[in-house]
Amino acid sequence: MSTGVGRGSLWAWLVLIVALLQPGLLQAEISEERLSALEARLSRLERNLELLLQKASSASPLDPQAVKEVKDAAQPLAGDLQQLQTANVPQVEPTALPVQQSALVAASPSTPVTDAAAEIQNVPYAGYMETHVNHDGLNPTTFDFHRFVLLFGHGFGDRIRFWSELEFEHAFVEGREVSGEVALEQAYLDFLIHPKLNFRAGMLLSPVGIINERHEPPSFNGVERPFVDTFIIPTTWFGSGGGFVGDLGKGFAYKAYLMTSLDSTGFSADEGFSGGRQNGFLENAQHMAPVGRLEYRGLPGLNLGTSFWTGRTGFNLRDIKGQARIFEFDGRYRKGRFDGRGQFAINRLDNAAEINRALQRQTGVNPNIARAMRGFYLEGAAHLFPTRFKHDLVAFYRYENFDTQYRMPAGFLPLKQFDRSAHILGLTYYPYPDIAFKFDYNFMRNASEVVRTPNRWNFGVGWWF
Amino acid sequence: MQFFKMKSKGLALALTGLCILVPISMGQQETPAKSSDKNDKGRKIQKVNVVAERFNFTPSKIKVQQGTLLEITLTSDDTFHGFRIPSMQVNQLIPARGRGSVKVLFDAKERGSFAFECSRPCGAGHTMMRGVITVE
Repeated sequence: MSTGVGRGSLWAWLVLIVALLQPGLLQAEISEERLSALEARLSRLERNLELLLQKASSASPLDPQAVKEVKDAAQPLAGDLQQLQTANVPQVEPTALPVQQSALVAASPSTPVTDAAAEIQNVPYAGYMETHVNHDGLNPTTFDFHRFVLLFGHGFGDRIRFWSELEFEHAFVEGREVSGEVALEQAYLDFLIHPKLNFRAGMLLSPVGIINERHEPPSFNGVERPFVDTFIIPTTWFGSGGGFVGDLGKGFAYKAYLMTSLDSTGFSADEGFSGGRQNGFLENAQHMAPVGRLEYRGLPGLNLGTSFWTGRTGFNLRDIKGQARIFEFDGRYRKGRFDGRGQFAINRLDNAAEINRALQRQTGVNPNIARAMRGFYLEGAAHLFPTRFKHDLVAFYRYENFDTQYRMPAGFLPLKQFDRSAHILGLTYYPYPDIAFKFDYNFMRNASEVVRTPNRWNFGVGWWF
Repeated sequence: MQFFKMKSKGLALALTGLCILVPISMGQQETPAKSSDKNDKGRKIQKVNVVAERFNFTPSKIKVQQGTLLEITLTSDDTFHGFRIPSMQVNQLIPARGRGSVKVLFDAKERGSFAFECSRPCGAGHTMMRGVITVE
């Protein structure tokens, strides 16, 4: 008996798995059914029209009433026939992949839209998660459910949109303990005014660099985010503010915000600007910081961007402005089975010597913050599986160079172990476009002859829905 | 040590440059972004390939003459996206990279601007993933 139940369950699971693995076939069948129904309807209409025309030709000219009835009946049928023929006029070529059938939708400005349809925003939620195993030669191997992120949106009609991102990091959160964190990384309203000028306000991601706004795990190679996007650009960098977003045409787009600034009391010799984020918690808004990004995406596969940020960071220190600047430029290119991307970023901090001395007075330790930090990386990747495969395997190599002690203020010496570089080799396997299994090995180098940075390997799984 | 560092940097740059430049020179010819044709009714058809990627459509602005049939072929360079024209009953799922394409036929009967947008949440910039069809 139990065996029967077991077999039944097994068959049910098999059917379920096959069904889950074959959504393309299901969609194809639906499209086929729709096409068959349309063809049948077209045949019926043609037959009825022929019959009516025969009746009209055989009707006595002395019977104008009968002729009028036949004509009246034929008119809507002829209209329907024409409409169906128009909808099917362009013969859609099948796509290269038989898995996904092309769909044809006749969109006409005269198509009526109900109020309810205009209000509906499809699937107002999304999310991503990533879990990692990290190993280096100095510390114990760790297993970390790094990020569990839920995104929610809502449309207030077609002109006002809400979007948010709530993130749990490191799985466990407890007050006043060293553990994970909960962060509201995004919560903003978009007011859609004109393609070239739209207003956005709330909790925003700073539009600097590639990764800060595009950090969904399947969208980048490597288990961890690039070092440059961690120490030089303090990803994930978010804060309160508002500004304008627009598409200027000819491939150019921009973002220009005023946001809360970074806090220099969190800067360090090791992690650069990373600790300076206010993270939305009772943020100091005495001096809002302008930030802007210009992107060019006018050529197929090419995306170029440059960002600039400047802000006063010394607001928690007495009589120190600590004006800081970040400038970066980046590019991504995709052609056939190959991808490439690169980024260069440089930071500058005024009053670095005064900030170091003030923090040393407070904590007793000199943080040795640099007056300039610099980093760049270049990455090349190749898709190894043939295009006919539903799965994908990407091999990549990235070279990173990042120096958080690039230029020191007078009276401070650079700590050479923080002038680092990394050769990263890795693989990303996609069983589904939104699920990525990642492995990478990092060959770490630094400029110190005394302190070494250990090599490391990472394994992770990330998914987006 | 300094020599090794410089050599290492140079090698890394050369390798990465090779990874990027070789594919560029060897890559397949891109399909033309736009082309025109006529169907058997003599009606003008304008074809355009639109690529969706977090968080933009390329091209994001499409111009078409009134009376033309606009055939939009939509593909994605990353995840699944959506193609929705809010002023019409059009809402199509764009398959993820490597999973084919979807075609939408736009009958440009009336002049005006018709905004389109991504209808499947795709990340931080989803709300501004938009474009416009201008019928002239």
